[in-house]
Amino acid sequence: MKKIVVIALLFLIFFPPHVFAESDYVLPYPSSMPGNKLYLVEQLKDKFMQYWYFGNFGQCVYNLGQADKYLVEAKTLFEYKQYLLANQALQKSDYYFQRAPFFLENARKENKNISVQKTVFHDAARKHIEVLQKAESELPENFIWTPEKSSPTALHIKQIISKSIKIRTQGL
Amino acid sequence: MKKILFIGYSVTLVALTIFSYAFIDQHLLYYASFYSGFAFINRLTTTALYCFFIVLLFIFYFLFIRLLKQKKLSVKDIKVLIGMTCLLLLFSYPAMLSYDIFNYIATAKVLFFYHENPFVIMPIAFLGDPLLAFTHAANKVALYGPVWIVLTGVPYLLGGGNFFLTLMSFKILVVLFYLLTLFVLWQFTKNPSTILLFGLNPLVVLETLTSNHNDIVMMFFTLFAFLLIKQKKYLFAFCFFVLSILIKYATIFLLPVFLFTLWQSYRQKTIDWKKSFFFSTLAMLAIFFLSPLREELYPWYAIWFLPFAFLTEKKILLYFSIAMSFGLLLRYIPFMYLGTYFGPTPLIRIVVTGIPLFIAGLLLLFQHKLLKKR
Repeated sequence: MKKIVVIALLFLIFFPPHVFAESDYVLPYPSSMPGNKLYLVEQLKDKFMQYWYFGNFGQCVYNLGQADKYLVEAKTLFEYKQYLLANQALQKSDYYFQRAPFFLENARKENKNISVQKTVFHDAARKHIEVLQKAESELPENFIWTPEKSSPTALHIKQIISKSIKIRTQGL
Repeated sequence: MKKILFIGYSVTLVALTIFSYAFIDQHLLYYASFYSGFAFINRLTTTALYCFFIVLLFIFYFLFIRLLKQKKLSVKDIKVLIGMTCLLLLFSYPAMLSYDIFNYIATAKVLFFYHENPFVIMPIAFLGDPLLAFTHAANKVALYGPVWIVLTGVPYLLGGGNFFLTLMSFKILVVLFYLLTLFVLWQFTKNPSTILLFGLNPLVVLETLTSNHNDIVMMFFTLFAFLLIKQKKYLFAFCFFVLSILIKYATIFLLPVFLFTLWQSYRQKTIDWKKSFFFSTLAMLAIFFLSPLREELYPWYAIWFLPFAFLTEKKILLYFSIAMSFGLLLRYIPFMYLGTYFGPTPLIRIVVTGIPLFIAGLLLLFQHKLLKKR
C-alpha cells in the first residue's frame, strides 16, 4: 500500500496534471452570432476598430478583445451544436490570441513597462483555458457535419480544442 | 484714481500668483522646491485668503466697469489691463483649483510620446511615468474631443520633454485662445464694455488664465463660426463650428441656433444678432445646468454661456452672469476648508452658489420697482 502511495506521489510530482486556478478575468457577453443581420456590420466595425486601436498597447487590447469575443462566440455555438461555425470562431480566437503577445513584445522594445498588460494577458489565457477545458469535457470527440446540398465535413472537435488550449498554455 | 486702481489690480494679481503656489501637490516632484503644504495644513487661512482674493477681484471688476461707464477708461486701458492679467497670471500655479492641466498633458503624452490612442489607453497604463504621481484623472481615457487632443500636440512638442516648458506652453496656448476670443467679441460689438465684462470677469480670469481650462478654446471656435456667418463665409463657419464641437462636445447644444442663423444669413435675411446670442445663451445654459447629470456643476462650465450672455447686452442676463460667476467661484470654498467632497460640502456648494443669485434677483426687483415708482 505504502509503495502505491509513494509511486502516486512521485507521479504527481513529476507529471503534474494541468489544473488552472479559476481566473477572475471577465469575458464579454456574446455578441451577434453568424446568421444574424448585424453580424456582418459588427465584423466591419471590428475591422475599422483595428485602426482605431493603434499603438502596441492598443493593438494588444484589440487582439485580446477579439480573442475573447470569438471564444465566447465559439462557446455559444458549441452549446447550440453549431460545430462548424464554432470551429471557425475558435480559429479566429486562436489567431487573435497569438497576435497579442507580439504587440506586447514590441511595447517592451519601446521601453514601456508591460507588467500590467502581461498579467492581464496571463489572466485571459487562464480564463480561456478554463472555458475550453469545460467545453472539451462536454463535447463529442469527433463530429461529421453534413450541411444541406453540400459535402460533409469531419470535425475532430477535441483535437481542435486541445490545439487551442495548447496555444493558450504557451502564452502562460 | 485710475492709476491707483491699475497698481492695486496688478499687486492683487501678483499676490494671487504667489498664493497659487500654496496649493502645490506634494507628489509634484518638479515643484518640490516650491512645496510648502500650506493650503493643506492651514485650511482656514487658505480659505479666508481665497475669499479675500475673489472679493478683491470682483471689486476691481466693478470699479473698472464703473470707470468705463464714466468714460474714464479707454480701449487702450482695457488692452493694458488684459495684457497685464495675462502676463502676471501666466506664472501662476495652474493646479490651484483644478488638476485638469495635468490631465491635458498626460493625454497629450499618451498620443505624442507613447504613440497610443488616448481614447483607448489610459495614462495609468504607462507604469513608472512621473506624471502619474499627480495626474488625478490618469485612470480615465481621453475626456475631450479629438480636435483638442490634436491641438495639445503643439504645446506638448514645444515642451520638448521638459515639464516646466510643457506646462508653460500649455498655458500660452490657452492665453492665445483667450485673446483670440476677446478679438472675436470685439469684432462683433466694437463695444469695450463687452470685452471688459468678459475678459476681466474673475471667473473667466481664474478658470482660463490660472487653471487653463480648454473651454475657452471651444468657445473661440464657436464665436468665430458665428463671426464667419456674419462675413457670409458659410462653409468655413460650419467647419469651425464642427471644430468647436470636437473640442469638448458641449457646443453641440448650439446646433439649432447655429443652423438657423446660418440658414437665415444664407437666404439673405437680416439677422437679429442679439436674439441669436440670447438663444445661444439659453442653449448653453441648458447644457450647463444639465452637466451635473454627467458629473457635477464645475465653475469653469460658465465659460460656455458667459460670452453669449455679455453679447446680448440684456440687463437681466448681465446680473445673472456676474452673480453666477461669483457664486460658482465660491463653490471651491467648502472643499478648500473641509478637505472633503462629502459631508456638508455638497449642500454648502449649493447654498454659496445660490446666495449671490438671490441677491442679484432682489437687486433687479428693487431697481424695477424704483423705476416704476418714478
